[in-house]
Amino acid sequence: MANAPTPTLGDDLKRLEEIVRRLEDETLELETALSLFEEGVGRLKAAQSRLNEAETRVRQVLDESSTGDGPLRIEPLDG
Amino acid sequence: MSTVDEAWSVAMLAKVLKGRVEQDSEPVWVRGELVGVKRYPSGHLYFTLRDDTSTVSCTIWKAVAQRMQEPLVEGAEVFARGLPRVWEEKTSLQFNVTQVIPAAAIGAQAQSIERIKQALLKDGLLDPGRKRPIPAFASRVAVVTSIAGAAVRDIIAVAQRRWPSVELLVVNSAVQGESAPAELVRALRIVSRLDAIDCCIVGRGGGGKDDLTAFNNESVCRAIAACTVPVISAVGHEVDVTLADLVADVRAATPSQAAEFALPDRTEIGPRVAALYVALNRALQNLVTARRARMDRTRDRIGAALLEQVRRSERRLLTVTAHFAPALSRALDRQRGLLQRLAGQLHALSPVAVLGRGYSLARAADGRVLRRVADLPAGTAFTLTVADGAVAAHVEK
Repeated sequence: MANAPTPTLGDDLKRLEEIVRRLEDETLELETALSLFEEGVGRLKAAQSRLNEAETRVRQVLDESSTGDGPLRIEPLDG
Repeated sequence: MSTVDEAWSVAMLAKVLKGRVEQDSEPVWVRGELVGVKRYPSGHLYFTLRDDTSTVSCTIWKAVAQRMQEPLVEGAEVFARGLPRVWEEKTSLQFNVTQVIPAAAIGAQAQSIERIKQALLKDGLLDPGRKRPIPAFASRVAVVTSIAGAAVRDIIAVAQRRWPSVELLVVNSAVQGESAPAELVRALRIVSRLDAIDCCIVGRGGGGKDDLTAFNNESVCRAIAACTVPVISAVGHEVDVTLADLVADVRAATPSQAAEFALPDRTEIGPRVAALYVALNRALQNLVTARRARMDRTRDRIGAALLEQVRRSERRLLTVTAHFAPALSRALDRQRGLLQRLAGQLHALSPVAVLGRGYSLARAADGRVLRRVADLPAGTAFTLTVADGAVAAHVEK
């Protein structure tokens, strides 16, 4: 199960704080400032949608081996 | 103080006593020696617990007695857990026991735990410097516990409330009984193989102390230490701290608390995101305002520079004009004066000009200028030219 490392909310918030800090620098090129702002808006949206997610995904990790070295299978766990 | 008229019935006394004794229904552990153990045909067990000064009658009801793994040994020192109860029929006090642990077992267990603890200490596994921080914003949390137990439900409930975007990956494992240690070790190994896990909760719901054995197991402790992600232990026991708790990066008293440690609370994060939203907009706005002001300043500067250049050109023109015009006019005047002088000189030399001063010019009919008397014998006709014209003239004598 190779999951692409999507940024976590923590990454987003950290980056957002950095963007705000950089935007506070008045000598910033307007072009750079705008692209930073756009990135910030994107990350804010992502953060917001994470916060608004309603359902926790619960899954069970299965491994048929007795030692825990076998192929892993991930299935939804019905609560 | 009551009067005779207010005398209680015996039943009343029994009832009041029962109420008072049973009011506080928290189970207690009592240590004592087992004597007079009897199993009745009904399946209930009766015995007495005693120490140097007191005795108490004890009962173990059939349902509990049937589940007991080890028989009660007459004369053995035990820990008995139960609730004091009043038997109204005899107004007698009984200790209603639900669990018995031989003191020897406790002693042996305590010794074993101590030995493992020393081994873990020696290997540095209890070193506070080893403790890894729990990531602030977990998005994938592994849970090692029994999927049949209450711990999973508690953790899901907390996640749902605090941080619903989290993904919980449950690795099933027995948490008590003989197979528990090996299963826990295996489950922790599986957790280490999962991708992008932020932290791992290892635990179980509430239970008796004898259920904690697996969490005092050396292999389990070492597996926790070896886990590639920070581990939160949640053995579900407020009082007893297990070795697993000591090795874990964070100890939680219950699975719910473990989930609270593992997950941020969105009601706290929401305002932070909102504040960032405001800050981001304000920062850009400030930047644009500052930029505009700077542009205005630049424009003003450019305007001023241009104007200055024009003025400079004007000034230069004026200077040039002022510098050159008089020279030019002086030159002109000079020329003009010269011309006038030349004209005057020319004029002065002109015979006509001489005539203007009162001289006259006499000329013969052939135009010859008559200069001397000899040129003018009497009777000669000649032309006399004066300043404004000529007249015919005649010499009389």
